[in-house]
Amino acid sequence: MKLLIVEDNLKLLDAITETLVEEKFLCETSGNYLDAEGKIYLYRYDIMVVDINLPGGSGLDLLREVKAQNPETGIIVISARNSLDNKLEGFELGADDYITKPFDMAELVARIKSLIRRRNFRGTRVVSFGDISIDTTKRGVTANNQNIDLTKSEFDILLFFFSNPGRVLTRESIAEHIWGDNMDLADSFDFIYSHIKNIRKKITSNGCNDLIKAVYGIGYRLNIN
Amino acid sequence: MKLIKRTYIFTAKWLLPVMIVGCIFCFYMIEYISYEETDEFLTYEMQRLVKYHNEFNELPEFHQVTHIFPDIRFENPVFKDTLILETGDNEMVPYRELYFSINHRGNYQTLVIRHLLLGRDDIAEGTFMIIIGLMLLVAFSLFIIVNYMAGKIWYPFYKTLDKLVKFKMNGPLPDFPTTSIDEFNSLNKILSVLLKKVGDEYRYNKEFSENTSHELQTHLAVIRACTEKLLNNPDKAPPIDELQKIYVASTKLSQVQKSFFLLSKINNREYNNPIEIDLRKTVVQALDFFDEAIAIRAIKVESRFEPCTLSMDPGLAEILINNLVKNAVKHNIDNGDIVITLSPSALIIENSGLPFVGNAETMLERFAKGKNGNIGIGLAIVKQICELYGFRISYILSEQAKHQIRISFGIN
Repeated sequence: MKLLIVEDNLKLLDAITETLVEEKFLCETSGNYLDAEGKIYLYRYDIMVVDINLPGGSGLDLLREVKAQNPETGIIVISARNSLDNKLEGFELGADDYITKPFDMAELVARIKSLIRRRNFRGTRVVSFGDISIDTTKRGVTANNQNIDLTKSEFDILLFFFSNPGRVLTRESIAEHIWGDNMDLADSFDFIYSHIKNIRKKITSNGCNDLIKAVYGIGYRLNIN
Repeated sequence: MKLIKRTYIFTAKWLLPVMIVGCIFCFYMIEYISYEETDEFLTYEMQRLVKYHNEFNELPEFHQVTHIFPDIRFENPVFKDTLILETGDNEMVPYRELYFSINHRGNYQTLVIRHLLLGRDDIAEGTFMIIIGLMLLVAFSLFIIVNYMAGKIWYPFYKTLDKLVKFKMNGPLPDFPTTSIDEFNSLNKILSVLLKKVGDEYRYNKEFSENTSHELQTHLAVIRACTEKLLNNPDKAPPIDELQKIYVASTKLSQVQKSFFLLSKINNREYNNPIEIDLRKTVVQALDFFDEAIAIRAIKVESRFEPCTLSMDPGLAEILINNLVKNAVKHNIDNGDIVITLSPSALIIENSGLPFVGNAETMLERFAKGKNGNIGIGLAIVKQICELYGFRISYILSEQAKHQIRISFGIN
């Protein structure tokens, strides 16, 4: 899986690359428009993660180039502007997903994995971990080969964990994942705790191990051991 | 009131006294001429009679003398007005009489000749007809002139007005036509300068907030990425509590900045794509979005919906309703309730919550502090959207700790 990451802030570029390399992705990076444009002409990438604001040009133009060169490439647009116009324009040009700064690495990884699943027509769309598997097309979850019934948010949270095994998911990150801009709902009451509690209850009642571990004061982690 | 209508009313107001004065003048003028002519006629008649009498020493057979008074003498001829009953229509009719004396065979005799006068009622009627006719003519020609004036002279003004109405902040500067009227030319010139300045300010402001947003969010992204990484490596990390605080603060900061950015965009009227929206759908979608959160807190939702169609930007409608419903869930209590009433004229969201001491209206202020020290920016966004669309919003707190937000849509 070969990725091109285009981001002009080098510290952020490093952080993104490091995380994605840890996830066993093959990453190439580019810090400006011209460099990225050259790479697009020379190589084929499975996924491009591109910032809209770039020195030397707009990420939206890169998007156009990629679609012309290799329509198969999946594209995730990063923007700080959260502006609806950019978002709509991005989707019109063929972006597959849109993520606004600042984002958690866990969120980016989840988005990339989700995009790979959607792009990979022949391959499996089932994500398994331990005795639990998630069918992302049917939105069904089985534990010990028995179906378990999760609500929409519970499903999203579990898939978020499965996309980031071993990584600490902060409460904020989970809240943002399920509520987006309305994540401040989580300020007043520990909704995340309640959701996690319900997921755990449903999984363990089917005889599976509780894989979600609390990280005190911070959030939760899907235990890989 | 339209300029042209105002001109008509103003002119009509001035025409009225002119008409009255004209009536009076006309009346006396006609009356004066009528007397003049009658007197002249009677004088000539008298001269004819006197001449005939001098020649033949008697009065002609066909004379028109009404009375002859013997033994009365007037030194000079005297005119008199008199009323005589006209038996035909049983009405007193005015006559002019001329008394004059002639010496007939040594005795003075006074002769009276008379002639019909124009009656005052006849003069008044005539005057009225003349003035009305004249006024109609004047009014008609004024109408034509004013219309022509409005069309011709005021045309550049209306053109300018039209361009101003159509002017959009993020659109091109309007191109005002040059006219032969100096005042309009200078108005257009001043407007051009002003609009350019306003447009520049607007673009500068927009760019500034976009750039600020971009820079801020990018660096916040770095902070979050780094702290996230450290949180995942507790062995290498500094004390986890501090790290957690940095993480939470940067998350909050970015949320707040996003909200401010949204506020400034609403303020700049960047969301300007109104379509007809069925608000019921928006509310149902919002309830659907938060339904799990509502279920977790065991909040009872009661909704009474009537159809409510508004012309709004769909994005803003969603932000408005989401913020209201979120607010009702967020500041609720376990096993609490939310009552949503939607009618064509108002949306009322009432929720149970913790008792609040102080002025409820301050909850809508941008920097209102909640119990956790959060700034109440969600409701400030709601308020801003309401202001944009001219909705009236009020926050009412009842004694039973019921928080009620009421938005009256008004007719705009």
